[in-house]
Amino acid sequence: MKVSLTWLNNYVSLKGIKPEELSQAITLRSQEVEDLSPLVDIEEGVTIGEVTGCRPHEEAEKLSVCTVDTGEKKRTIVCGADNVAEGQKVVVALPGAVLAGGMEIRETTIRGVHSEGMICSLSELGIDEKYHQEEGIHVLDPAAPIGSDALEYLAFNDTVLELDLTPNRADLLSMHGVAYEVAAIFGRNLSIPDPELITSEQANTVEIETQTEGCQSYYGRVLEEATIGPSPRWMQARLIAAGIRPINNIVDVTNYVMLETGQPLHAFDYDALRSDRIVVRDAREGESFVTLDEEARTLKAGDVLITDGERPIALGGVMGGLDTEVTSSTRSILLEAATFDPARIRRTSSRLDLKSESSMRFERGVDPQKTRYALDRAAALIAIYASAAVRDGVQNVDRHARGPRDVTLSLNTLNKVLGSNYEAPAVRDVFNRLRFPYDEEDEVFTVHVPSRRQDVNTYQDLIEEVGRLMDYNALPDTLPTTLSIGGLSSRQKLRRHLRRTLSGLGLFETMTYSLRDVSRIDDLTLENGKPVELSKPLSREHHALVRTPLHGMVDVAAYNRARKQESIHLFEIGKQYTSEAERERLGLLMSGPYHHHRWRPTPPTDFFTLKGVIEALRQALNLPRFHYEAITLENYHPHQTARIYCKGKSIGHIGKLHPEYVEPQGLEDVYVAELDIESLEALQQEDYTYAPVSPYPGVRRDIALLVDDDVPAEALKDSLASVMPDRLQSSHVFDVYTGEKIEAGKKSIAIRLTLADPEGTLRSEDVDALIAEGVEALSREHGAQQR
Amino acid sequence: MAVPAPDRAFLFEKGRVSMDVNERIKALEEKLIEALKKVEDHNDLQQTKAEFLGKKAEISQMMKHMKDLPEEERPAFGKAINEGKQRFSELIERKREEIRRRELDQKLKQERIDVTLDAPDYTPGSVHIIHRIVEEIEDLFIGMGYRIEEGPEIETDEYNFERLNIPKDHPARDMQDTLYIDGERLLRTHTSPVQVRTMLRYGGGEPVKIICPGAVYRRDDDDATHSHQFYQIEGLVVDEHTTMSDLKGTLLRVAREMFGSDREIRLRPSYFPFTEPSVEVDVTCANCDGDGCGVCKQSGYIEILGAGMVNNAVLRMSGYDPERYQGFAFGLGIERIAMLRYGIEDIRHFYVNDLRFNRQFT
Repeated sequence: MKVSLTWLNNYVSLKGIKPEELSQAITLRSQEVEDLSPLVDIEEGVTIGEVTGCRPHEEAEKLSVCTVDTGEKKRTIVCGADNVAEGQKVVVALPGAVLAGGMEIRETTIRGVHSEGMICSLSELGIDEKYHQEEGIHVLDPAAPIGSDALEYLAFNDTVLELDLTPNRADLLSMHGVAYEVAAIFGRNLSIPDPELITSEQANTVEIETQTEGCQSYYGRVLEEATIGPSPRWMQARLIAAGIRPINNIVDVTNYVMLETGQPLHAFDYDALRSDRIVVRDAREGESFVTLDEEARTLKAGDVLITDGERPIALGGVMGGLDTEVTSSTRSILLEAATFDPARIRRTSSRLDLKSESSMRFERGVDPQKTRYALDRAAALIAIYASAAVRDGVQNVDRHARGPRDVTLSLNTLNKVLGSNYEAPAVRDVFNRLRFPYDEEDEVFTVHVPSRRQDVNTYQDLIEEVGRLMDYNALPDTLPTTLSIGGLSSRQKLRRHLRRTLSGLGLFETMTYSLRDVSRIDDLTLENGKPVELSKPLSREHHALVRTPLHGMVDVAAYNRARKQESIHLFEIGKQYTSEAERERLGLLMSGPYHHHRWRPTPPTDFFTLKGVIEALRQALNLPRFHYEAITLENYHPHQTARIYCKGKSIGHIGKLHPEYVEPQGLEDVYVAELDIESLEALQQEDYTYAPVSPYPGVRRDIALLVDDDVPAEALKDSLASVMPDRLQSSHVFDVYTGEKIEAGKKSIAIRLTLADPEGTLRSEDVDALIAEGVEALSREHGAQQR
Repeated sequence: MAVPAPDRAFLFEKGRVSMDVNERIKALEEKLIEALKKVEDHNDLQQTKAEFLGKKAEISQMMKHMKDLPEEERPAFGKAINEGKQRFSELIERKREEIRRRELDQKLKQERIDVTLDAPDYTPGSVHIIHRIVEEIEDLFIGMGYRIEEGPEIETDEYNFERLNIPKDHPARDMQDTLYIDGERLLRTHTSPVQVRTMLRYGGGEPVKIICPGAVYRRDDDDATHSHQFYQIEGLVVDEHTTMSDLKGTLLRVAREMFGSDREIRLRPSYFPFTEPSVEVDVTCANCDGDGCGVCKQSGYIEILGAGMVNNAVLRMSGYDPERYQGFAFGLGIERIAMLRYGIEDIRHFYVNDLRFNRQFT
């Protein structure tokens, strides 16, 4: 809502209140002020002049040389507008004036002619083109007084306060409502005059019938012999200040009164109606109707239609019809003031994407007691400014419940909720300033809420009224006294542990969008399934919910690679969204040098680098051993990908991304892994288990084996562990070799075993026996030959 | 230098043998000192040692004369020789240590490095700045006895709107443009449904004191200040005596934790269907200390969150009796906090994850 301060001052005196103070007070006690600025950003030097002479410029075809009388002198002004002519009253910017947009006017010589000012268009004054359709200079009416302040004459010397309204405060969509609010904030008097309407002897004969619950009230008046023309300057200026384009005196009055009262109005060309009846009914499914903006609208059953008994003439509460629009040839007018079911108006305007000043007010709810007032006020203004005769009588249907809404609030409850220590006189003062009538008994207030405040329905609403007008900032700063024990759940602790460990290992946490391109949603996952898609996607890129954080992470890698980042090591705690559940997933991505040593060789980052990070994480989380089993997976390297198991359960996967997948994204050698966080949480051991450190030294033995190339190292180690469960402390592969010296299809593998007896020192012959047993098992189970 | 042969005649003619022995040893010692000065390495040293202390060395040969001496002079004679050998040995060992030290120094010199060369990148990665701030806020609230509750991001209209006092066709639905999955399911537009779920789980019989962090979604075109996905933290306290002043005091703590201990806050009336009264909360601009500047659009304040007293309708729908319980709720956007705190100019930075950005928050 844009509020003209000149207009507001008509209802509540702003004397002694600077606009900035007003703005500050409204912000702290009512609504956020979005902007405070002059309607026209020109300080001085714009005057009214008369063009007393006008001749073409000898040197320039498109220019005219004008003599302009600005009162104190006759000036020569070169003007480029086509419409300039002798005898016009015009707006003249004198040298020294700074126009909207910062253009400074100076005396200057244009093609050899000295020019002492500028004749202005409305746009040059800073009136946006959406408020006028004028080309060329603005021509004032002949009565404009030469030499006086043009901005004052045009009523542009105004300041506009723009309120960012919350949807509950429908009352502030009217100047009257804003006046009530400002009067309450500053404790000032308020004056809202009743309309002064003189009617003719002719009676209003229109019959009104409403056949739908969607229309709650409908009031009509008929006016005749109207002269259509421009509305007065002050009204146009106020409409512009409020953000509405002036059209003609009839439409402008309906808009002006809507701004004044919050009650939308509509004017029909009475002669265009096919009967003397107004029938309000539900639209029929699929019915078509052409609105004022010349769009054919297809209607639905929930829409409310105003008809003349034969055909639709307006889409109730949203927009009038083209056929019955007021035009320059209109003589008689049917003026409508009605109210509609807010929810239905909202549905209609949302569906048709047709938000009007009218629908905006109806969907928030208008004051039912202002409907008749607005009708009469508009009729009175049209009578004055279009010289119309108002027929006697109002036809109406009104289903609104009458009588006050009583809401009760005790002083005790008020203070109990706010934590304040307010006393009864302060509360009385607030209700008085708000002009809320009330009864009081034993510090219990029964407030008779005026119909203009549709938002006040409960005692909490009254607490808000008192709280805000007393200023919330006056409340003390206390803390809740509720005793409780705070803490993190095991999942929350796990997430923090993951974050600390992985960042400590040199990985960067990413945060990527959950919504992605649906066609690629299964690119990197173990399990496919039906994606969860938006019914109306934001865009192709933001369409369906991801099934793995890896998706976004690959994009992050590509983004950084394109920006010459070498080491890209990432993790993200993301989600796998399915129709049934949201499962948390840990994504890991490594590409480029890890622990990069720039002036010495760095081992290349490969599968085992990432595996090492996973194993470090496993140990940090105190999880049991992981097993890796080679698998093939779409978009992954067919021979460098594995599923990860723990305690026999699949908990994720690790692999190199397929070159054909990453190369188009400008990447190469990208290793990723995904772990299921729920599984990790379930596998976490409650606490550490302690075993005394053995005082007996272990014995180290190396064995070298020749096995088939496809025998996994882990299988060899498992066999050894099963043969000597109590003695084998650790086993590590320390050499793997395939090549010239080895027969094709075989590999040489060397394992270092550490054997120990927790009860004593192992004798050499016992070690020999164990090793022999181990080698025997490897030979039996894997065809291994000792080398 | 040739060592003169022992002059036996001189030694024994005088009959004051011990004195002569001492002088002789003294002379030898001076010769040894001179010889050691020329020693370069362990080899030289070995030779010199043989020369002065070996079997054929003069001092060793002198011992043979012991038997020629009178009984009473023998102890002094023997002592003088032994002490002489002892001193020779010390001189040689001192020289040996000197050579060892010199050779080690030489070796270490070869190991000289340029200490200004770059270290390998063992630098840590980082926790995403948004999660870092979330943890900071969580810790603040855990310290005040709050628990952390979570809920699904795919929500239902019922929990996201209706139970929060936002019926269908309510104008307040315009405040949050929603991403729907189907007629009933949607991506939550705020973390408030977690409050409802928690209250329902508590069953209306005990106080609630929680915060709820999580991702939320709105139908917004991404630009410098808008993001269709962002991170929110909501807080909720419901008890028999929770007041708006408690809310104000709590939010002052949050503002000071996030923006510095000298910050002040300001409450402005606002509207949310799930709270009544509702407020928006501003913090004094850290850039200008409240004087007004470009960052705060001359107001001296910057909006950081929305809050209010829980609407009775919401309490009722969540199983809490408004006659007995009252509470406050607040919600803040983490990206906004981060942007204000660090002067980050574009919300998309958080989701792009340019490592040059993320690395700044290691």
